[in-house]
Amino acid sequence: MDKIKSSITIVLILLALVIVFLPHGEKANDGKTHINYWYVAGKNDNVPYAVNKFNESQDSVFVDATPIPWNEHEKKILTAILSENPPDVVMLVSTVPKWAARRALVSLDNAIKKDDFDSTQFYPALWKEMEYDNEIFALPAYTASYAFFYNKTLFKKAGLDPENPPRTWQEVKEFSKKLTVMEDGDIKQMGFIPNYGNLETSFVMSLELDAHYKSQDGTQVTLTDPMIVKAFNEEVNLLNDLPIGKINKFMGGFGYGSQHGFIAGKVAMMILGNNFIDQIKTYNPGLDYGVTEIPVFEGTATKSSTGIWWYAIPRGAKKKNAAWDFMKFAVSKKIQIEESFVNEESLFPTNINAATDSAFLSRHFAMKVFDEQMRNTESKVIFPLVHDVFWREFSQARERVLYKMQTPLEALIQAQQTIQNSLDRAIEYDDYVKKELPFEKF
Amino acid sequence: MLKKIKNITNRQYFWGYLFVSPWVIGFLALGLYPIIMSLYYSLCQYDVLRVPKFIGLDNYRELLFGDEYFWKSIWNTFFYLFFRTPLVIVGSLLLAVLVNNSIRGIKYFRTLYFMPSIISGVILSVLWMWLLNPEYGLINAALNFFGIQGPLWLIDPGWSKPAIILMSIWSIGGGRMLVFLAALQGVPKQLYEAVEIDGGGWWQKFKNVTVPHVSPIIFLWTIIEIVFGLQVFVEAYVMTKGGPLNSTLFYNLYLYNKAFDDFEMGYSSAMAWILFVIAVAVTYLQFRISKKWVHYSSD
Repeated sequence: MDKIKSSITIVLILLALVIVFLPHGEKANDGKTHINYWYVAGKNDNVPYAVNKFNESQDSVFVDATPIPWNEHEKKILTAILSENPPDVVMLVSTVPKWAARRALVSLDNAIKKDDFDSTQFYPALWKEMEYDNEIFALPAYTASYAFFYNKTLFKKAGLDPENPPRTWQEVKEFSKKLTVMEDGDIKQMGFIPNYGNLETSFVMSLELDAHYKSQDGTQVTLTDPMIVKAFNEEVNLLNDLPIGKINKFMGGFGYGSQHGFIAGKVAMMILGNNFIDQIKTYNPGLDYGVTEIPVFEGTATKSSTGIWWYAIPRGAKKKNAAWDFMKFAVSKKIQIEESFVNEESLFPTNINAATDSAFLSRHFAMKVFDEQMRNTESKVIFPLVHDVFWREFSQARERVLYKMQTPLEALIQAQQTIQNSLDRAIEYDDYVKKELPFEKF
Repeated sequence: MLKKIKNITNRQYFWGYLFVSPWVIGFLALGLYPIIMSLYYSLCQYDVLRVPKFIGLDNYRELLFGDEYFWKSIWNTFFYLFFRTPLVIVGSLLLAVLVNNSIRGIKYFRTLYFMPSIISGVILSVLWMWLLNPEYGLINAALNFFGIQGPLWLIDPGWSKPAIILMSIWSIGGGRMLVFLAALQGVPKQLYEAVEIDGGGWWQKFKNVTVPHVSPIIFLWTIIEIVFGLQVFVEAYVMTKGGPLNSTLFYNLYLYNKAFDDFEMGYSSAMAWILFVIAVAVTYLQFRISKKWVHYSSD
């Protein structure tokens, strides 16, 4: 009797374990190839427009879209790749080389060749960012395009012509002085804050000055390039001698949406991404503002940078062909234009044909400016192997300079040493790994 | 006969092991294995996605002699520990003494003071970001009421650490208070009476009776709080990301950045082991010192 009892117990326990650990989920019985697509969810979990359209468009492949939260999204994808059961397509925003260099993505070169895929439909700078070690690893989905926003009402109040925004950084400095309002020793309104905005002012300046961040072969960090030092100096200059403590206190009240400095009408001029057009529409529709190209130095051309979202196939993905079909579809002109109309807050198309289409340009007067800026962008990826270290050091050097703790040269020397140290280690490791682990091909 | 007993014992062993097996398997696979592997990876250059490369003690050498952020994070963490540990322990003890009074409705007060501690760290951090806001925050508004110009708190490199330490006031109730309360209720009443007969007031009672009696509990919490304090992370991760000017770059935050932003898992494994050694050393030191001030009533 006892034996029967314990046998039954064991069988029940085993059964329970099997049920718990058995991979479950609806088995698709529609005869289509199902692929998994992971994307970072925004405010809502709605299935992305491109996915719905793709699923409607044909009957051999079906995309199952899974939203993953913004926080920790990189870690989620990382662990999925390590578990050797990754999704077939992912959409990411951190840099392509960061993932490609670590052999996390499948090289798309063979697929591109096979289909004679037209890469000239994208802005050249964006396409270049999809590359690592002379191979392409991703398709650009959307980008942020940045331009110079200014508040026309505040311009009028300060006696400035609202149809004549500043063209040079020198003018920005002069305008900023006129647009800054103090009350009882505290700042109540400011013209331009160099460390508040979507692009690092000193970085943009250095691009305009044609600065060199690295040696030809990419193994030496050259942050002490005179043009980078000059850019840092010019950035501090824009503070108009206001102490950073006062500015920080003023910025302490800023936040998202209606609390944003520009949207709330507290900062008169800013470099912002094109998504601010939608944000202003939502949070302060009455704001009278203009959008113009990012200021320059006498004799230099305007420069901007990018913030790209991209599609890629993770290492170890099983259904590469179907994934590739979906990616191509999602970056096409038609889908990019349509999607920019349905989204609550849109990014900028990566496809030039979409961005210059009259239907798209009619969305807003500033789209023309954003298109122009996209043609003058340079990548933020300077050292693929130590991208995060570079940017952490760069912004900390900036911070030290703005706090007047160090001169630009001192701050840049210190940053250069730290980045070089990391770079040397990373290159050594990369050389070792190259022999052990080649890129996964399509 | 003997054989039968042995059989029964085996069977009991079998069931015993079967029932503890989920924990044992869990511990071996998810606890011990990663711990051992992290020791190995701390001797490697390793970014998880690629193969590890053995480099001996290079990570440790780089950390101790070449990485200024490492030392900065140690300084920040010890600064935090040094001020926060006494603050929360003394605070909890005083609160426990307060709710040890026998007045009407004391149970409700105990519940009330316990409640803040059940709020999660992330929510608390977001809440405190607003309390500490220099422009609109309640704290500076209160200071302003008394004519004091409040500091910039989290955005001032000199005030960011004190601001995070100040936050711990929120959690002085909770578990610590309860354990102190239990200890206080075990203090013999006649000792207090003896002090009264000798003409002593509340201070003498507190100093000569209460504190010695709860000293083992103080000791216990000092160890726990220091070990936990060494791992301070959430506040800085949510509120400051380590800034301004790295003034809130705590040890675990730096470790996290190295691991998940830079993917330098080998390097951060080495950091984790150094932290472990620090925790053991500090705890050992405390045990040595404790002989001088902790009183056990059985002594």
